[in-house]
Amino acid sequence: MTDTDLLKRLLAGEQKAFRELVATYQGAMRAVAYAIVGSRNADEVVQDAWLAVVRSLDGFQGRASLKTWLLTITANTAKTRLKHNRREVLLDDLPAPHGSIGDERFSENGHWLLAPHAWHHDSPDALLTEDELRECLEKTLASLPEQQGSVLHLRERAGLELEEICNLLQVSASNVRVLLHRARLKVYATLEHFEETGQC
Amino acid sequence: MLSCKELVALSSDLLDARLSLRQRVVVRLHLAMCYRCRRFIRQMRLSQGVLRQLPQGQSAELDALAARLAELRRQQP
Repeated sequence: MTDTDLLKRLLAGEQKAFRELVATYQGAMRAVAYAIVGSRNADEVVQDAWLAVVRSLDGFQGRASLKTWLLTITANTAKTRLKHNRREVLLDDLPAPHGSIGDERFSENGHWLLAPHAWHHDSPDALLTEDELRECLEKTLASLPEQQGSVLHLRERAGLELEEICNLLQVSASNVRVLLHRARLKVYATLEHFEETGQC
Repeated sequence: MLSCKELVALSSDLLDARLSLRQRVVVRLHLAMCYRCRRFIRQMRLSQGVLRQLPQGQSAELDALAARLAELRRQQP
């Protein structure tokens, strides 16, 4: 369904269209709110952003995609809420349940000391048939610091370009890359752990 | 010559096609010679695919929200 088709149905107040909108974008909106205001206020910001979306639907010009428009409204709502005490980008890291790919994996000359083994599953579908792995992955995602989790969600799940993420969250390109890399290595470590042990 | 550790540090930029020309050359050269790093990159791409396909939950909550928003929209003049 194109943005134009969906927009028509939204303007008509069709509940199914709103269901589709919410299901598609709620996760990304939450990720934006989390990164800017933190987990405590994120849900409220997302609620407010939805209300703002409904109020301004008539004004949507289609110059940007619906996704960009929604996420911009969310970021603006979050920033208004934050007013002047903008949070710094926290590059401090938190440990993940299965760690990351750290220095201990390499010898002094930078070669693999503990190299990755071959995995039993060779496609996302095959991996996701394992219920335990899905739960395990959810745990890892929940353990990520707010901005790491948000950047990962926006890049991998919402499919945003790095520049869009920088603009929405007002984080520099180099910081977005650091956050994304750390988050990806933790997800990798979780899958690797599961492939090697068969459990979480 | 790039080490495996350095390759891992560049892996996200590789996934996002953010490497400079020089980096692309050294990464390609390293990958041509190192099956362990080839495997690592393949598995990183696989992790990426898993994240993309991971289902999202909370459908009852989303139903309620959608109903409320549609209602609000219909009430607008």
